[in-house]
Amino acid sequence: MTTPTATSPLASPPDAVAARADAPAALDIRAVSYSYPGTTRPALEAINLRLEPGTRLGILGPNGGGKTTLLRLVLGLLKPQTGEIRVFGRTPREARRESLIGYVPQRAEIEAGFPLSVRQVVTLGATHAASAWRPLKPAQRDAVEKAIDLVDAREFADRPIGKLSGGQTQRVLIARALAASPRMLLLDEPTVGIDIAGQRRFAELLGRIHTNLGLTVVVVSHSVRTMATGCDMVACLRGRLHSHTAPAGLTPQLLAELFSHDVEGLFGGADVVVATPTGQQGHAHVHGEACDHGHEHHNAHDHCQPPTTP
Amino acid sequence: MKTWDYLTDPALAPIYRPSVVAGLAVALMGAPLAILVVLKRLAFIGQGVSHAAFGGAGIAYALGITGVVAAGATAGEAAGARLAFTGIVLAFCIASAIGIGRMTPGAERGPSRASGSAARADTAIAVVLVASMAFGFLLVNVVARRTRAPGQPAPPGVETVLFGSVVGVSWVDAAVGVAVALVVVGTLWWMRRPLLFWALDETSAAAFGVRTERVKMVLLVLNALAIVTIMRLAGVLLATALLVLPGATGLRLSDRLSGVMAWSLAAGVVGVMGGLVLSFEADLSPGPSIVLALVGVYGVACGVRGGTRRAMRAG
Repeated sequence: MTTPTATSPLASPPDAVAARADAPAALDIRAVSYSYPGTTRPALEAINLRLEPGTRLGILGPNGGGKTTLLRLVLGLLKPQTGEIRVFGRTPREARRESLIGYVPQRAEIEAGFPLSVRQVVTLGATHAASAWRPLKPAQRDAVEKAIDLVDAREFADRPIGKLSGGQTQRVLIARALAASPRMLLLDEPTVGIDIAGQRRFAELLGRIHTNLGLTVVVVSHSVRTMATGCDMVACLRGRLHSHTAPAGLTPQLLAELFSHDVEGLFGGADVVVATPTGQQGHAHVHGEACDHGHEHHNAHDHCQPPTTP
Repeated sequence: MKTWDYLTDPALAPIYRPSVVAGLAVALMGAPLAILVVLKRLAFIGQGVSHAAFGGAGIAYALGITGVVAAGATAGEAAGARLAFTGIVLAFCIASAIGIGRMTPGAERGPSRASGSAARADTAIAVVLVASMAFGFLLVNVVARRTRAPGQPAPPGVETVLFGSVVGVSWVDAAVGVAVALVVVGTLWWMRRPLLFWALDETSAAAFGVRTERVKMVLLVLNALAIVTIMRLAGVLLATALLVLPGATGLRLSDRLSGVMAWSLAAGVVGVMGGLVLSFEADLSPGPSIVLALVGVYGVACGVRGGTRRAMRAG
């Protein structure tokens, strides 16, 4: 068994990232708080989160819940006022420098009408730090082509990025992230503006990437559907990290409690198919509250297992 | 035809040819810069920097450095005066570009939420723009009113600084233009990978480890260099047009990077040369003539693009 490295994950076997006891966590967030300048209410408060390599985590929360702030902290684009973050044992800045994180932005952040082909965009992921004199190395070219194949973008690889549909653009952005050979994929609201069929295809793609490359995947979204179909674990965030749970724990009641939110709106008025790839069951509960099973949860990470039947 | 005479007559050619060489240099550096300026919506920042050039010109005037020398001065003295004037304006422009760059929010610079930083930067650029113009205008006017010593040449007037002058372009200016064009094009080629990543998607570029602040500053400084070169020919008021219209034309006509570059260069060359011919023939300021020619080229590009779309829909 091999552990994926920053240079070879596209070639890694599916089970390559099984966590070793002595291996650092893929993501380790300890007591992190952050407030934007000029604001009194912290955007994030006392966040604790440990993510083992190879896990698929969804971070679910309402708008203004701190999802993007957390993401920027993990990327090292913001510095926490308290606490610390480690990505595979490195600081976020080091992780960025070593291309350990593959970031997939919201589709809207891409400049529409940019005169680059899909292949050129994906190539940027592999060569942005390369010397100006050096042409593309064979290994980089190989990584680019493999990433294009992995996201099924071969048929439109020479088309301009501005001429693609939302779903296609999303796939290209994932390919660009994969071309940098990261160990963790970080996706920001990946299904915004994509129809339900596209969201399903996206979940399949994420599953395929996970199976083929064994990457750690963190998806930040306010879409329950995205969480339910593509993640092993879901963390609910609204300033504080309220819970970790398997997607099965995302009941409308829980969401209503956690987010004081229009649950119908969150679910998009559609049925939610809850998939639990690991078969893990569980419920999450508001900090300090008792659950249906009579347990009281005091820790934000408390994970309630249903009582075993005698 | 005046243009032919101006460029071939041994007595007139030394006066008019430098403007053609400078114009070609400007078109060469404007082509790639304009694409980035349009894609990154930096036109307003460019306008701020170009107006700062007017403030720089005012300071140079106040220091007695107007770029012109008395009749009978040696070529070396003339070149020195030109370079000193250009240097002061350039320093002012680069300082403004860096100041404006630091005011604008960037992905790498962290906190932006709830701070309204984009709106504040917009206001700050507007303040720099109008303050530089007012400051420059006052200084240039004060210097123009001063009593000159016998034999001391009159400094170029406000109109020349604002709209440029064909006869105001010397071989020194043309040489500076060619050198700056090579520096601009070379730097853009050198930094093409991080620049393209940054221009496509700033947050992702920062997340991938691109030094986005440095990339932005380099582009703004290149912009300042280009503006100082362009201002001799087209004036500070219209210099930005040369850093916007060729790129906008290229982006209208192609969606491939190579195509956009080629069309942008072609639009720049046709616009600058067309504007110079118009200026020579009608005895007009070159700045407005070049800008109108560039606008004409852009209009044709829009027409071609619209016609192609209609034909595709009909077909």
